[in-house]
Amino acid sequence: MTQAAISPGASQRVATGRVKKMTQAFRSAHFAFCLAGLMLGTLSNAADIPLYPTGPSADSSFVRFINGTDAALELTAAGSKAKVQLDAKTPTTVFYPVRAKSDIKGQFTQAQSKSDISTSVKAGEFVSVIALADGTKLKHLTIGEEPDDFNALKVSLAFYNASAKCANAGLQVVGRDVMLFEKLDVNALTRRMINPVKISVQLLCGAQVTGAPLELGELVAGERYSVFAVPAASTTRIFIVSDAVAR
Amino acid sequence: MAAGTLAGIAMLVLGESHLSLPGYLMNPLYEDLTTQGATVHAIGACGATAGDWLKTVEVPCGADRFKGDTVFKGRAATTSPIKELIAKDKPNLVVIILGDTMASYDNESFPRAWAWQGITGLTKEIAAMQTPCVWVGPAWGTPGGKYFKNDKRVEFMAGFLEKNVAPCVFIDSLKFSKPGQWATVDGQHFNQAGYQAWSANITKALAALPMVQGLKK
Repeated sequence: MTQAAISPGASQRVATGRVKKMTQAFRSAHFAFCLAGLMLGTLSNAADIPLYPTGPSADSSFVRFINGTDAALELTAAGSKAKVQLDAKTPTTVFYPVRAKSDIKGQFTQAQSKSDISTSVKAGEFVSVIALADGTKLKHLTIGEEPDDFNALKVSLAFYNASAKCANAGLQVVGRDVMLFEKLDVNALTRRMINPVKISVQLLCGAQVTGAPLELGELVAGERYSVFAVPAASTTRIFIVSDAVAR
Repeated sequence: MAAGTLAGIAMLVLGESHLSLPGYLMNPLYEDLTTQGATVHAIGACGATAGDWLKTVEVPCGADRFKGDTVFKGRAATTSPIKELIAKDKPNLVVIILGDTMASYDNESFPRAWAWQGITGLTKEIAAMQTPCVWVGPAWGTPGGKYFKNDKRVEFMAGFLEKNVAPCVFIDSLKFSKPGQWATVDGQHFNQAGYQAWSANITKALAALPMVQGLKK
């Protein structure tokens, strides 16, 4: 289990329509060494074949946007009129592929409150931009992750603590004396692999049971999920989302 | 190997450059599989990665062999979306032979996110078509050459595939030979003896899989 580095609050990031267009340009112009006049069916083993790349020039990068507030909000990309609504039923976007190090700009909007997003993503990084209530205003938290635990036989479960009200956050398996995660700092994330089982979890802030248990549902091997702890009116609540990637 | 170990199995075999030239893996593998009773449609696309089989992508060379007829292609070669291939052929087994095109041999860092995205994208589409699949990983090459293939990375690539190709069953080609045992022409592509050995081992490994045996008619 590892905790990822984070960049809290201030400087941020975005997406939607614009981001969708930022598909990876991995496999562009790289068949420069094609042999001229390839004779079909006449090549021997000694014949050379066109040189091709054995990988991309840069790893894939992704960004998603999460509504960590108690009310619906809208996400817009800079220079676009397209809007994405994030609410209790659909609190997150998928991970959109983006070009590494490109500028990603946009805005969370909720009633009269706005939070401008401006960020970039490193190669191989999965960035989550989480909208949070700041009194009557809106702010956001940006957390990046560079996972190395890809595994189709296990469930990959992350725990994001985006609640300043919840120090040393933990998730305990309901009905069992088992901690999935322990002592997670505020504005931090951690991830681990678990077996594909049906479980419910209870949030602990320090040693204090906080909020209601959360049923994680049928977790599927090979899939990736995140549990978010976000500030609620007088406490901290948790919810789970799939770490789905736009295909 | 007894004759007919793959009797009645309709295979769609997809691969990279190894399946794209006549003296490479295409001919010996096609012949070994059909000798064992399988009906085979084999398609090679030079440089194609897993994600390239989700769409149509131009590649610098390729080959297509079905019902005995082989078409070796130059720059007119493309990949085809796996969904279309499965819908058209209706195979009862898909065999993917792919690894070298995704290993980033010339890059110190391995592109995990990209590889994971491509591999799982392909395996999910195959699973969505309710078609069993086998993924054959890369074989040892000889260090160096124009692709910079090296033992450490090919071993890592095989391990990455093994962890990520489910629900496809993984066949580890590294177990078929010792590093450097099969001579290559460029560090990555084998000579005829190497391809014949790889083909024989793939055929034998396929026939030994309980999942494949369950498909026999």
